[in-house]
Amino acid sequence: MALLETRGLSKSFGGVQALRDVDIKIQQESIHGLIGPNGSGKSTFFNVITGVYRPDSGSSVSFSNQEISHLPPHKIAALGISRTFQLLRLFLEMTVLENVMVGYHCHTPYGFLSPILQGSKVRETDEKIRDEMIELLQFLGLASYANLPAGELSGGQRRLLSLGRAIAMKPKLLLLDEPGAGLSPVNLDNLMHTILSLKEKYELTVVVVEHILKVVMNTCEQITVLDHGQKIAEGSPEEVQNDHAVIEAYLGREMADEDIRQVIRA
Amino acid sequence: MIGFLSAVEGFFTGLSRVHRLLPWILAYLLLLPLPYLLKHGINEYYVDLANRACLFILLSVGLNIVKGFCGQVTVGHIGLYAIGAVSSALLALNYNLPFWVSAPIAVIITGLAGILVGLPSVRLEGAYLALATLGLGESVRIMIAVTPALGSSTGLMMIPEPSIGEFIFDNFESYYYLVMTCALIGIYLSFAILKSSTGRAFQAIREDAIAASVAGINVPFYKLLAFVISALYAGLAGALFAHMPPGYLHHNNFTIIEMVTLLLMVVLGGIGNVWGGVIGAIMVTIIYDQTKDYYFYQPLIFGIIMVVMVVFMPHGIGGVVKQAMIKRKFIEKHEEASGPA
Ligand SMILES: Nc1ncnc2c1ncn2[C@@H]1O[C@H](COP(=O)(O)OP(=O)(O)O)[C@@H](O)[C@H]1O
Ligand SMILES: [Mg+2]
Repeated sequence: MALLETRGLSKSFGGVQALRDVDIKIQQESIHGLIGPNGSGKSTFFNVITGVYRPDSGSSVSFSNQEISHLPPHKIAALGISRTFQLLRLFLEMTVLENVMVGYHCHTPYGFLSPILQGSKVRETDEKIRDEMIELLQFLGLASYANLPAGELSGGQRRLLSLGRAIAMKPKLLLLDEPGAGLSPVNLDNLMHTILSLKEKYELTVVVVEHILKVVMNTCEQITVLDHGQKIAEGSPEEVQNDHAVIEAYLGREMADEDIRQVIRA
Repeated sequence: MIGFLSAVEGFFTGLSRVHRLLPWILAYLLLLPLPYLLKHGINEYYVDLANRACLFILLSVGLNIVKGFCGQVTVGHIGLYAIGAVSSALLALNYNLPFWVSAPIAVIITGLAGILVGLPSVRLEGAYLALATLGLGESVRIMIAVTPALGSSTGLMMIPEPSIGEFIFDNFESYYYLVMTCALIGIYLSFAILKSSTGRAFQAIREDAIAASVAGINVPFYKLLAFVISALYAGLAGALFAHMPPGYLHHNNFTIIEMVTLLLMVVLGGIGNVWGGVIGAIMVTIIYDQTKDYYFYQPLIFGIIMVVMVVFMPHGIGGVVKQAMIKRKFIEKHEEASGPA
């Protein structure tokens, strides 16, 4: 069954058509790769799914068979979609623990009245949440930094924290925007391993955006390729890596050296 | 100095482990003899000054919630203070309501007005939001200035003092216990908000509103909530101000200069820092008092201090102290780790 399905998904910014009639089905509990050269519309895809941008009229996004394209971001989040950002967007002046606790926000009982309702029940649940979040930080190897401002973390640690914040939302669908950008190959392997184990642990459906093919080859079951906002290929990693349109899309424009190497190696 | 502050902080943290309210009760007890000390140690005038400092603390701690925690620019806060003061005064003067009824109603009215001041924040940011809130704040003052029923020319006079049975809060010392209690509870609640999920939602919006909304925070709702909470503080400060002896209000109490004074407290103390807001309020009260003979130049003096602060100490006094405390903790940890030399 498809957990997320888009039909005729389009988004234009003035003259730029960032997405054009994209149809994608994400299967329940799968790990799905979304690849394409820089500027092909991958981040825009996440932005319209999560409500950061409203898609063009005529687009349809359904999640668990519910139309969500008209909903504001916090409602979409509450339904069980969470994401990371390419540029992380951490709450840098808040502590590491507070960052993941914000992720837990939709599951906080008592809502906005909690500071006034300081009964023992409220404090008990607050402590339970705290313990749960510390456990998550331990899993990510960030527990010893729990009370430091997130701004003090190194680049790699920040990537892990942004992953933790998304996981803390207890999502059904997790969208990861270039989670490995800027990491060394070894760290990248570790990160992919962490993502896979998180997927198992929390029974997640995952979509990973990458512009380097190789990163998603070993982890993803299904891959969709975007170019200039359009879907140009879809299928298993083997099918996609031998697809003519895909190779052309990657070779047909200026690319970073490493990208070309990846493609050729594939 | 920092060592002393660390020691005090450590002591109070220890107390709070015994019971969450213990440090606050101790602080309350320590503040009880203050008017006696001021009156007999210096003179009675300083008790009045302490009362004004408490009102400023309520205003600045409240303003810090919307500006410091939630990151929303507002220059209309003084208008909310005016609404709290004038509504409580009118309810008491025209309907003979006791302070204990008129003040809570005034606080609620101010809270509702807070929604109006906050509405532009849903669409506007930065300088545009500042202009919108400035317009709303100023229109409150102008409305008071041109409406006789609101005390346009002569101001509102003979606003009755609060009383409990036979006891009337009609002098500086008795009024001190009223405003000091309110200020301390206000500070306590501000910390409670900061540490709750609501406080985290505010800060997340300040840090990155898009990331906050994607994390499940209803951003427009929490922005408005921050405006409303800070309006409740301003409403209470206003009501306490209106009924404070000699029970007189004039629209000149609510000008742009007052707004600048208010902003100075938050900037001086440190934006987003609760104790900073308190320190700022006390310092501004003192500066205000020391420069009142040159009242003509006060806006200039305050403006210069503000610019100097923003340029050289953007996190205010509170920020500097906080940084120093963190550093000290790091050094202590380090010494612990390396053992005695
Ligand atoms: N907020 C925006 N305003 C204008 N153009 C945008 C905006 N966001 C993305 N775009 C444009 O949409 C296209 C796709 O961008 P993006 O989705 O970020 O690509 P990718 O993530 O695949 O690198 C680019 O041409 C980009 O310039
Ligand atoms: Mg991108």
